[in-house]
Amino acid sequence: MNFKLTADAWVGVAVLVFAGIVYYEAAQIPASPLYARVGPAVFPFFISGAMALLGAALLVQGLRGGWSHEDPELTLLPDWRAVFWIALGLAVNLAAIADLGFTLASALMFACVSRCFGSKRPVADFGVGFALAAFAYLGFSVGLGINIGEGILEKLVF
Amino acid sequence: MMLRRDFLKTTLAAGAFAGMSAPAFAQTMDRLRMYIPAAPGGGWDQTGRTMEQAMRAAGIVQNFQFENVPGAGGAVGLPRFLGMRGQGDILMVAGMVMVGSLIANKSPVKITDATPIARLTGEYQVVVVPPNSPHRDMRSLAAAVKANPGSVSWAGGSAGGTDHILVGMIGQNLGVEPKAMSYVAFAGGGPAQAALLGGQTTAGVSGWGEFAEQVKAGRLRAIGLSAPTRQAGIDVPTLKEQGIDVELANWRGVFGAPGISAAQRTALTAVVERMANSSQWKDECTKRDWTQILMTGDEFGRYVSAEVARIEGVLKNLGLAT
Amino acid sequence: METLADLATGFSVALTPTNLLFALVGTLLGTAIGVLPGLGPALTIALLLPITYKVDATGAFILFAGIYYGAMYGGSTTSILLNTPGESATIITSLEGNKMAKRGRAGAALATSAIGSFVAGTIGTIGITFVAPLVVELALNFGPAEYFSLMILAFVTVSAVLGNSATRGLASLFFGIWLGLIGIDLQTGQARFTFGLLELLDGINVIVVAVGLFAVGETLWLASRHAHGKDELLPMSGSLWMTREEWKRSWKPWLRGTGLGFSIGALPAGGAEIPTFLSYYIEKKLSTKPEEFGKGAIEGVAGPEAANNASAAGVLVPMLTLGLPTSATAAIMLSAFQSYGINPGPLLFETQATLVWGLIASLYIANVMLLVMNLPMVAVWVKILAIPKPWLYAGIMVFATIGTYGISQSVIDLALLYAVGIAGYFMRRFDFPTAPVIIGMILGPLAEQELRRALTISQGDMTVFLTRPLSASLLALAALALFGPVLWKLANRRG
Repeated sequence: MNFKLTADAWVGVAVLVFAGIVYYEAAQIPASPLYARVGPAVFPFFISGAMALLGAALLVQGLRGGWSHEDPELTLLPDWRAVFWIALGLAVNLAAIADLGFTLASALMFACVSRCFGSKRPVADFGVGFALAAFAYLGFSVGLGINIGEGILEKLVF
Repeated sequence: MMLRRDFLKTTLAAGAFAGMSAPAFAQTMDRLRMYIPAAPGGGWDQTGRTMEQAMRAAGIVQNFQFENVPGAGGAVGLPRFLGMRGQGDILMVAGMVMVGSLIANKSPVKITDATPIARLTGEYQVVVVPPNSPHRDMRSLAAAVKANPGSVSWAGGSAGGTDHILVGMIGQNLGVEPKAMSYVAFAGGGPAQAALLGGQTTAGVSGWGEFAEQVKAGRLRAIGLSAPTRQAGIDVPTLKEQGIDVELANWRGVFGAPGISAAQRTALTAVVERMANSSQWKDECTKRDWTQILMTGDEFGRYVSAEVARIEGVLKNLGLAT
Repeated sequence: METLADLATGFSVALTPTNLLFALVGTLLGTAIGVLPGLGPALTIALLLPITYKVDATGAFILFAGIYYGAMYGGSTTSILLNTPGESATIITSLEGNKMAKRGRAGAALATSAIGSFVAGTIGTIGITFVAPLVVELALNFGPAEYFSLMILAFVTVSAVLGNSATRGLASLFFGIWLGLIGIDLQTGQARFTFGLLELLDGINVIVVAVGLFAVGETLWLASRHAHGKDELLPMSGSLWMTREEWKRSWKPWLRGTGLGFSIGALPAGGAEIPTFLSYYIEKKLSTKPEEFGKGAIEGVAGPEAANNASAAGVLVPMLTLGLPTSATAAIMLSAFQSYGINPGPLLFETQATLVWGLIASLYIANVMLLVMNLPMVAVWVKILAIPKPWLYAGIMVFATIGTYGISQSVIDLALLYAVGIAGYFMRRFDFPTAPVIIGMILGPLAEQELRRALTISQGDMTVFLTRPLSASLLALAALALFGPVLWKLANRRG
């Protein structure tokens, strides 16, 4: 038998590591009071055990050549340019939403994600995203009285 | 009893203020922000929104703004509220549930860090059994617990909550280790009631309002109330008169931001007091079965500190706090 | 016949112009919030509670009931079109529904879900009208032991979504159960897997995980395949509406889903999600074209959609007959009763006959309104898929933000959404199915809690699950579903 360290084998390793983390965290749960016949740590230990078994099985499958090659779409090289733009969009949204507010952060994300999927007109994208986000913001604040993320712009305008 | 005594005290206090320096303590405000450390629709939210209605109707405050920050019985919302230092136009609705949650979740912040303004309402807990239960009173149930604590299962809300605290206190009073009380936690009042109606557990504990209708319809038998004395309108003997010296009220009240000035605190207390004595508020409380147990000022501050100590003790005995 | 007279009174209340208007506003609002992930009927009704100070009780409850039913209709729309479930009960709908949309049958998927919802809602409401008291007495026989056995039966349904490999499918399932355990343990108050974050104490919202895995994860995946042109949507094909064959394949799932949804919904701890799992499983087993499952089988939309609407009716059974709030929405509606000084309890039907029958009548009306409103809307909704692809995917991301950050204002929730999305990307890359994560997340903690309740009550005696007849029957059913097919095959081979 010919063992290969495929990407799939690393998935097995990751699942094993996950099982270890679950085990460690389960061991931190304090002992349960008398009345609880089955304590709060029983299920967590069970999950950790099951994950360890499944991780080992995946590792073996991975070392024997893995399963990813069965579907050619899985092993295509990622389009790094597109991945960069979408990752940037999500990161910008995450970083900016608390201060800039929902409308601006979402519009920026909208422009980045559009770019990711091949749009070549960043200004138009930003405009559409801004209109959509502002519409949603107003709809919520006027319709239901919910503030879905007030920031600089919302404080100034609304 | 308690109600009337507090009422007298607060009217006296308000009268004294009015006599001394009326203009400084105007009993109206332009704007009041309500901070609810729970989801819309829950008990604290309803308290806040009912306050809004009463204050608007009585012309005390016209402009209201609500903020809900739900999570973990208020343990998520409190730190954020404590960050609003010195802001004199905001009130947080909280209560006994938060005291317990902060202790059980080992929260780094304390409810006493906020400025206590007033205790408004409360609800006594009631012990019920299914109608076909052999236990007709608390003595009989207590005897069963003493004989074998494991054989008596208690349905109630989440572990460490008001219901569980009462069960722990009853156990302690009976000389049974609280940890040994067979407590079965349900997610909220509906599922717990369903289990009791179906006779799945021996007994159950919840706020009186939760069970009142089932008791009136004869689907549950109420055998003990956690009040100091018999309550008007509630035909249930107290735990105390049946030899179990336990008292517990699930109170709700309001708190100001930390570090507010004495004047800001007095102003907030004045509007809340005026609201609590308005007929609009009293009507709403009657409608909702909320017992009014108004307490303000330093007395309330001392009460909160005492509750923190008392509940911490019970939770330790239950094995939920260290 | 007394019931019919009561119902007639109810209709005379509900058919007044004002109350019809309330029903219309409610259904419109319900549809809108159903579409939005994270914003459910419970929160909406809670936000609208102040109207109880201005409107009479009948009007308010007719409005609330419209919102409640409307949300169930609306939730499926985004599941189908955008793979972004609006409600936890419509997560299963997105499995086949979105696949149908991708192969150009969005119109049929939306139509079967709207008509199925109407059938289920109407039959469910008939159930409330005529058999509610009976159903509720049966439902009270369910104790923790029975619920645990029901969860075990529901776990069998995961076999319908395991995908290409049982190992990977089960890994997904256990991952989901783990996600479900995060937070404070109800039975003992201990925090589990919260990593010191207060925000995790109440657990993770299943909608955040579903939107993260399905919408964010899928969009990340499509982005990474962009250069290879793998993110194409097939254009709409065939008729916008359901074909004759699609009708034929839909009506039985509608009825079966209704039966499952109403009966499980009426159980005080039944919920709306479990019947959708069971319905999906049964439809896959009974389908004449099981190979289409996973690629857009209409039965997999019709059944679960009927199930979630019927469960909405089922939940009203314990609420109206006993005053028991068994779902978040029911709990809020009960608190609305209180602001009218009405204490809902077992005597509600007697003391508030006009209100209750008016409410029931308005449920029939809301269902008709929703059908009339939603069928023509199908033509509008499918236009969403004609939006240029860059904007469509960007819009889905904005939508997902509203559903998480917008509702909770917590950057941690948004970070969680994206973390789940990244996990979803890797699951997609290594061919792990995502649906078992959701099933595990919903069923795992329920099964755990019921097991522990049952064992606390029985003082540790494990035999309760077998000595209680109902529980034993449910376990037998689970065993049959799991091992039946294998045994059947073995028997045939020998014979």
